[in-house]
Amino acid sequence: MMDASIAANGRQRIGRKADGRHSPSPLPWLMPLILVLGVFYLYPLLDVFRFAFTNVSLLGTDEVYTLQTIVTTLSKPELLQILWVTLVFTASSVVAQQFFGLFIALIVLHSEKRRLFGSTIVRTTALVAWVVPGIAGGIIWKMLFNEAPFGGLNSLLRLIGVPAVQWLSDPHMVMWSVVISNVWRGTAFSMVVMYAASKAIDPVLYEAAEVDGANPWQRLIYITLPQLRTAILVNMILITIQTLNTFDAIISLTGGGPGRATEVLSLYTFNVVFRNYDLAAGAVLSILMLTISLGLALVYARFLPRGEPS
Amino acid sequence: MRPLRQDRIGDALSYLFLAITFLFFAWPLLWLLSLALRTRKEIFLGVSRLIPKAPTLENFGAILSSDKFAGYLWNALILSSCSAIGCLIVALPAAYAFSRFPFRGKGTWMMVLLAFQMISPLVIMVPLYRYMAALHLTDSHFGATMVYIALAVPMVTWILKGSIDGIPKSLDEAAVIDGCGHFSVFWRIILPLSAPGIASAFIISVIAGWSQFLVPFLLISKESLMPIGVGIFQYAGTQNDSSLQLLAAACLVSVVPAIVAFLALQRLILGAMTEGAVKG
Repeated sequence: MMDASIAANGRQRIGRKADGRHSPSPLPWLMPLILVLGVFYLYPLLDVFRFAFTNVSLLGTDEVYTLQTIVTTLSKPELLQILWVTLVFTASSVVAQQFFGLFIALIVLHSEKRRLFGSTIVRTTALVAWVVPGIAGGIIWKMLFNEAPFGGLNSLLRLIGVPAVQWLSDPHMVMWSVVISNVWRGTAFSMVVMYAASKAIDPVLYEAAEVDGANPWQRLIYITLPQLRTAILVNMILITIQTLNTFDAIISLTGGGPGRATEVLSLYTFNVVFRNYDLAAGAVLSILMLTISLGLALVYARFLPRGEPS
Repeated sequence: MRPLRQDRIGDALSYLFLAITFLFFAWPLLWLLSLALRTRKEIFLGVSRLIPKAPTLENFGAILSSDKFAGYLWNALILSSCSAIGCLIVALPAAYAFSRFPFRGKGTWMMVLLAFQMISPLVIMVPLYRYMAALHLTDSHFGATMVYIALAVPMVTWILKGSIDGIPKSLDEAAVIDGCGHFSVFWRIILPLSAPGIASAFIISVIAGWSQFLVPFLLISKESLMPIGVGIFQYAGTQNDSSLQLLAAACLVSVVPAIVAFLALQRLILGAMTEGAVKG
């Protein structure tokens, strides 16, 4: 540290020489990253595109280049059902996680300001749910949704005198059960992002609003929400992609059933590849997944304020 | 007196919402604990109460003493810590370069890195499975570790870049003038000063590795090599309602290490995470 401060004093003198020096290439420093991502990410990714034009299976090696896989995979009648399930699951999860995340963040902030008891406990509990591995989360919720008397939710309902719900066996109910479990695991992320972003809002804005006589509701609508715009959009991109890729939490909770009621695109892709051994069709579905995430990200990105350094 | 009453109503509502939120997030874990402490008889009777009548630790004993589960836990520990170390080795120099070297298209490259995060691991697992089989890297911890690293490294690089950005540039400029090369600047200044960022990146990748399911599920079929995520999924498939107490105990055992690691370093992790998320 001492060397550094001494040298800092002499910086102005020699600084020009240091700046004018030919700047070395960052390539050696980036090489490990490029190698790892290239070999284990980019190369397989490019191969997905190649596979889509073949009829390759998980077992055989006889590859023929053909457009047939793309046509048959995309025209399968079940695909529409799968996409609909994926849409319902993703949209409800994202909206609920964004809404509750913001709501809890604001309540926690308010409670901190008023020095209410328990806001830290609530924040930490939500975060603990977030750390639970997806596969374990699915198993935990399966126990909660269990329709036997020891099921954790029906027990709770019985306590307050509400009749039992068929959480996982009713095809209309099961989607909401999956969404609830996903919201349980995912809300903490939105909460943290919203909390940090709300804390960063300039307090002067609120003081000015108070002088003008704005009520809490008006402060929320005219100050908090507009100020959070960027954070909300970025958060939406992140949680949409996370939700779209959700796979482990569903495979261990419902396995996609009953019937196909909760078979989302990622689970369907998995089944096509590793149950039907149809690698080529899986590649087509993978590309479809990729296109959907990229498309959604671009749509959200259009709403981002422009020209902001980030 | 009006504002005071308004405040009181606000406080009461806040308490109500805090309580509901707490219940929502805590209930699943409390229920899991409740199931894990029950005897087989109590599960079998199908009684619903939160606090078991005759709480017992024997389920945990049964799980922890089985070779299978000890192996699962050990494998998960090996995989997640090795991949976290690997992640740091790959990401640290890159983060340093992104933070300190002037080069063209830096912003674009950072975004490209982030875009990797948008690709579902499932997409690359399809061809990767075949490569790994061809390279004889299936059923190997090394192969799985490399894939874990590739999946986590974009985010870790972002986090580390954020923490290196926080180190004043004048420090390394001064060291350069003192005659340090880039490597010794990196080694003597950047590494020690970004220790908190490195620690949180390490813990985040350990937790991410701990919750990996897809990669080991596909690449590892030998039971003796499986990490806990895959092990517990297989185990859950073989259980029925009357052995729920064992599954609950197993589930808790798989969840607790991640929770403990997180709670111990909560402050560090949240700082690193929000920095990445808000900036990204």
